[in-house]
Amino acid sequence: MKIQTLLLLLCMMLPQFSQADGPPKKQTYPEGLLSLNPGGELWSDIRQRGDSVLDGTSQVKGVDSGILINASGVEWANFRVNELTTYSSIALAAVFVLIFLFFLIRGKVGIEGGLSGRMVKRFTDYERIVHWTLAVVFLFLAITGLILLLGRPLLIPLFGKEVFSLLASASKESHNLVGPLFLVSLLMMLFSFVRRNIYEKGDLTWLLKGGGFIGDGHVSGGFFNMGEKTWYWIVILIGLVVSVTGLILVMPIFGQGRIIMEIVHVIHVICALALIVVSIGHMYMGSVGTEGTLEGMKTGYVDINWADAHHDRWGKECHEKDLIISAEEYDKLVGTSSVNEADGSKTT
Amino acid sequence: MKKLTRKSRTVGKISAGSTNKTLPGAISRRTFLRNSSLMAGGAALATTVSPVMMKKSQAATSTAGGKIEQVKTICTHCSVGCGIIAEVQNGVWTGQEPAFDHPFNKGAHCAKGASIREHGHGERRLKYPTKLVDGKWKKVSWEEAINEIGDKLLDIREKSGPDSVFWLGSAKHSNEQAYLFRKFAAMWGTNNVDHQARICHSTTVAGVANTWGYGAMTNSYNDIHFSKSILLIGSNPTEAHPVALQHIFKAKEENNAPVVVIDPRFTRTAAHADHFLKIRPGTDVGIIWGMMWHIFENGWEDKEFIRQRVYGMDEVMAEVKKWNPKEVENVTGVPEEQVFAAAKAMADNRPGTFIWCMGGTQHTIGNNNTRAYCAFQLALGNMGVSGGGANIFRGHDNVQGATDLGVLSNTLTGYYGLSAGSWKHWSRVWGLDYEWVKGQFDSGSYEQSKGKDVHVMNTNGIPVSRWIDGVLEDKENIAQKDNLKAMFFWGHAPNSQTRGAEQQKAMDGLEMMVIVDPYPTASAVMPDRKDGIYLLPASTQMETYGSVTASNRSFQWRSKVIEPMFESLPDQTIMYKLAKKLGLADQMFKNIQVNDDEPLVEDVLREINRGMWTIGYTGQSPERLKKHQENWGTFDYDTLKAEGGPADGDYYGLPWPSWGPPEMNHPGTPNLYDTSKNVADGGLTFRARFGVERDGTNLLAEGSFGKGSEIKDGYPEFSDKVLKKLGWWKDLTPEEQAAAEGKNWKTDLSGGIQRVAIKHGCSPFGNAKARAMVWTFPDPVPIHREPLYTSRRDLVEKYPTYEDRKSFWRLPTRYKSIQATDYTGDYPMILTTGRLVEYEGGGDESRSNAWLAELQQEMFVEIHPRDANNNGIKDGDDVWVEGAEAAKVKVKAMVTRRVGSGVAFMPFHFAGHMQGKDLHDKYPEGADPYILGEAANTAMTYGYDSVTQMQESKCSLCRITKA
Amino acid sequence: MARMKFYCDAERCIECNACVTACKNEHEIPWGVNRRRVVTIKDGEAGERSLSVACMHCSDAPCATVCPVDCFYTTGDGIVLHDKDICIGCGYCFYACPFGAPQFPEEAAFASRGKMDKCTFCAGGPEEDHSSDETRKYGRNRLSEGKLPLCAEMCSTKALLSGDADVISDIYRKRVINRGASAFNWGVSFDNAKIKG
Repeated sequence: MKIQTLLLLLCMMLPQFSQADGPPKKQTYPEGLLSLNPGGELWSDIRQRGDSVLDGTSQVKGVDSGILINASGVEWANFRVNELTTYSSIALAAVFVLIFLFFLIRGKVGIEGGLSGRMVKRFTDYERIVHWTLAVVFLFLAITGLILLLGRPLLIPLFGKEVFSLLASASKESHNLVGPLFLVSLLMMLFSFVRRNIYEKGDLTWLLKGGGFIGDGHVSGGFFNMGEKTWYWIVILIGLVVSVTGLILVMPIFGQGRIIMEIVHVIHVICALALIVVSIGHMYMGSVGTEGTLEGMKTGYVDINWADAHHDRWGKECHEKDLIISAEEYDKLVGTSSVNEADGSKTT
Repeated sequence: MKKLTRKSRTVGKISAGSTNKTLPGAISRRTFLRNSSLMAGGAALATTVSPVMMKKSQAATSTAGGKIEQVKTICTHCSVGCGIIAEVQNGVWTGQEPAFDHPFNKGAHCAKGASIREHGHGERRLKYPTKLVDGKWKKVSWEEAINEIGDKLLDIREKSGPDSVFWLGSAKHSNEQAYLFRKFAAMWGTNNVDHQARICHSTTVAGVANTWGYGAMTNSYNDIHFSKSILLIGSNPTEAHPVALQHIFKAKEENNAPVVVIDPRFTRTAAHADHFLKIRPGTDVGIIWGMMWHIFENGWEDKEFIRQRVYGMDEVMAEVKKWNPKEVENVTGVPEEQVFAAAKAMADNRPGTFIWCMGGTQHTIGNNNTRAYCAFQLALGNMGVSGGGANIFRGHDNVQGATDLGVLSNTLTGYYGLSAGSWKHWSRVWGLDYEWVKGQFDSGSYEQSKGKDVHVMNTNGIPVSRWIDGVLEDKENIAQKDNLKAMFFWGHAPNSQTRGAEQQKAMDGLEMMVIVDPYPTASAVMPDRKDGIYLLPASTQMETYGSVTASNRSFQWRSKVIEPMFESLPDQTIMYKLAKKLGLADQMFKNIQVNDDEPLVEDVLREINRGMWTIGYTGQSPERLKKHQENWGTFDYDTLKAEGGPADGDYYGLPWPSWGPPEMNHPGTPNLYDTSKNVADGGLTFRARFGVERDGTNLLAEGSFGKGSEIKDGYPEFSDKVLKKLGWWKDLTPEEQAAAEGKNWKTDLSGGIQRVAIKHGCSPFGNAKARAMVWTFPDPVPIHREPLYTSRRDLVEKYPTYEDRKSFWRLPTRYKSIQATDYTGDYPMILTTGRLVEYEGGGDESRSNAWLAELQQEMFVEIHPRDANNNGIKDGDDVWVEGAEAAKVKVKAMVTRRVGSGVAFMPFHFAGHMQGKDLHDKYPEGADPYILGEAANTAMTYGYDSVTQMQESKCSLCRITKA
Repeated sequence: MARMKFYCDAERCIECNACVTACKNEHEIPWGVNRRRVVTIKDGEAGERSLSVACMHCSDAPCATVCPVDCFYTTGDGIVLHDKDICIGCGYCFYACPFGAPQFPEEAAFASRGKMDKCTFCAGGPEEDHSSDETRKYGRNRLSEGKLPLCAEMCSTKALLSGDADVISDIYRKRVINRGASAFNWGVSFDNAKIKG
């Protein structure tokens, strides 16, 4: 799935696609049709008059039915179609490029001395379920959201309007239904990991030392290093913003006016994009980018060498409390270990 | 300003928070057609298209099945009488096209007219005859219903006499139905028959008719195109007659006509006015006399016109002199400069037209108000001219017709009155023996006139405004044999009358209620009784055909759009069935063909033509009216005259009087009292109705006469004697002479007297002065009297109301005994009522139309911010409005500056809630309106006009508290 | 071909709501959806004016710009229509439209708006003219019969005008000359009135 996303994003970089349906050009008509709009003067007057005049009453009851003209709508529409799509495409493409470059330059972050095969439990089953639930939900929302955001310039040329409409409709409905699940998972995530993500002494040092990516790679960290903590807080805080704005958008039954929806929509999209962009980095770091990390979320156990290398303060605790289990025990718990205990080589 | 946003309960039932679903059970005709593989759409283009509006693009002809028939009819909502083109396919009403060539509206409508196709849906109609049994509604057959009702009526007749049945008819009858209804009551033997005019323009009819002869709108909506100034008092056409604004704006924009609006509220009409005079409710006489004070002070009156055509202006001037600017401001609240400016605007810009509606009529001094308005126009010489006139905007679509046809307790058809002469005339027209007719009545006498016993046949019956007293009052005090025992609500809602709480009691006090209506109306749910209510489904005017009279006196022919829906029947059929059951059918339909229980409408109109000589309902034959319907586009938009075409020379709708029999081909009278035209061409003089001389003063016109008149001066009304005196008797044919011998212009059934008078250029009814002073009225010169429930106790001594009357229209009627009490301590605010554009009348019909009901979902009271703050009320709060007689209604508060401080306003169209209780469940299944609310008139109070018993629903007292 | 436009004359509009109900009548529009509405400014006060508002069929329609599924199109007459089969009911056009023209038959939690509905200038939709599908989805197609929108045809005071922009401009210009006032004068005639308080 990640490869496909990558490819898609790469494709987006190609000029003809990113400009596919682009910012709409001014519609032109055959000669002689550009008649003066008889209401032009009237509506200009109305727009200039300000709030006292724009806000009236109507016997037709509905959201904003008393408002004569909502000038912000056009600004919002243009922003959504021009800046938002353009910059989000660029941001998404850029993050892939940057990660690719980073991989080329820095390569996979390994462990000095390799993996030992002796594991220590890092995450409970519950914690892993919370993480993966949130991850899957997030990815689902991200993809459906991106379909809605970027579908018109990118996918309509590929699939045509009818097929895309089906896809977009399914995306919209499912995005709306799954959205509240994100909030629930997020709150679960919040409560599961909040204690271990409080900033503490040593985090600043970690930051100043570049998190180990720069230089010799040795930097001290707790259960979660400062980078992970920061990602956590980004997820929680921005995630909450995305959730709350999402709820406002998904329940238009409280009489929210259009201006509120427009502002909320922009916040929602920008925050969601921020999450997506950073999550790509997280996904990279959690898998390809660092040796031995994925196991933690996959099985709940990590290699003790990995712990000592990246989270030595926690690793020290594990040693002290003798929480390390042997490779055989690990095998029994989760199936074949991927590491040969004897020489640290990979088995399969 | 906050908008009221409560959603309708019926809609909310579907899903919480959702207000946007289709209402349950909605059958879309389009879906119906689609399922029947018939396509909507068609090749019909509008017949003649206004060049100003249309731009033709490529027209596609549809080859879809289902031929579209275009049926012409007239809107049933108000007296403007907008033309409608209904598109019908296979008997289903599928579309509505604008009637661009109709001279009144040119295709335009208001919200009600634009949605009238809903009558073809009829989701909430009363669908079949229904009877209340033990608190539950039970379906019955027509036969069963008629039988039971008939038996009960005969029983009541036996025990209590015919006067114990009240026949409440409708302003929504067609002319033919109204005529039959009055006749029915006469056959039954009672004068207890009435309709909405009583509570709408009865004071107009009485006041205006007693001023110059006829009590109707003198010019027309279209004639306003010629007005140089327009005054509206107590009239809000933007809500009540929107299409009239088409004509008013034409004058305003093209003639630069100043518009003066006099109203307690800053109405939507006032928003388009040049002058707005905000008066205290009930001070009409004060403001008009105040304006006339400036007119007389500055010598702006038309002295020549007054000399020639007005009697009694001196007496009026004497009264007006008392109304100096200081007094005017004290009583009405309007400062001098505004009164002066308005008076000057009218005086400087003549001819000016004068428009009034319920704001002026619904008072204890309503007849004073209307006569003051007439005096104003007489003083300025604005009468009998195009662009001037007393342009009285009537209410319901056929209230004019129903009034003319006499659905009134004080007269027979045609304003003939209730004297023996009148009965004899009509007995002749009906082809019946006068003695038989007389024998139908109770032979007793319960009152005296000039020391002699009078027979109930000749006394005013109980008016609709007082029917509840006919039930609740001690029968010893009522001038008839017994109380009312049975009540017909035939096309008349109850919530348009005041004293709603007492009405509830009266309904419970009856032995039987029969509601004949397309909808159950609030009458079905107001009473607490468990039995004795019958609901008979009547067809709307869209499901039958006939003629209707618009406010400007024009007749219009309606064609049938669709067959009667569900089990409904047209009024004339229901009347026939009932008459048959009561043994009256042979007499009632003696000269009227009946096919399958349905009387032939054309025959009824012909009978009307044979009898209504007083107001010239004689020339409008079915053939002439149908011809007008087929040729709408040939009538001029400004003058209403057909130039060329099959109706060449006619005025649209042959506005009455259209003198003589149809063969005489009189074109109708577009503007009354216009002496610039020959009577034969639609001209007219003031009627000589009040004698030729009084106290030495000549009551006939002096030096003023119609164009082509052979008598160059005033003359009395025509009779055989007058003709003989003039030597014109020989102009009558032998047949005419035989018929006219011993008769006058009203009772000569040949029409010869009228024909000959007109031949010589004379108005058959004489040529007299209008009288600004009506010596037969309680206040000969109109004066101001404070309302019964007044907020100005300091003015009561100077402007007291009338003395109580022991028997007035058969009932004791109170005035002074009510005004004597000071209610202002408990009820400090003035309460007034009025209309909304989305609804009409009692409102059940329009609130059953989803397209209209969605636009007005909540009953409300308008209250000024100052009063709201004083009572701790915010916009949108639930409040109790308690009237001065302690009945109260629970409504939403609408805080607005539209009303002045100290005045509250409620629209009267809602019903279905009663003093806080929701009566929704009492409606028959599937026949409840979409929107219910409190009836404003529950809180309105006692008070009746001193001549007509009009109710005082424009000024009472109340208090408003947070609920 | 002409460019079709609406114009509502604020001096003549009396908020009679005929345009609102005419539209509902002609297209059998359900409760809760109102393609046209009348907005009143300064309700109950000096200078009160009303305007009838529906889709203005903009040359540069923001709804068309922002639609994520590109379901809008403009006809040769300048009428902005949309395809309900493509519409996903996201509500963006409603946010973008300055006039609030788009309507939705449902509005419940989870933004399950139904297909957007709006004024079609009585020109139907993408389906074949007068087909039952077109009528069912979009209402009547008057334009293809040579008729104009019913709301304007039934306006009680001819305040609402519809049709060729040039023709409308002409009509309106004549009115302005008659009135001797500028295009949009709140309370101009009223300012001349002798109102106090």
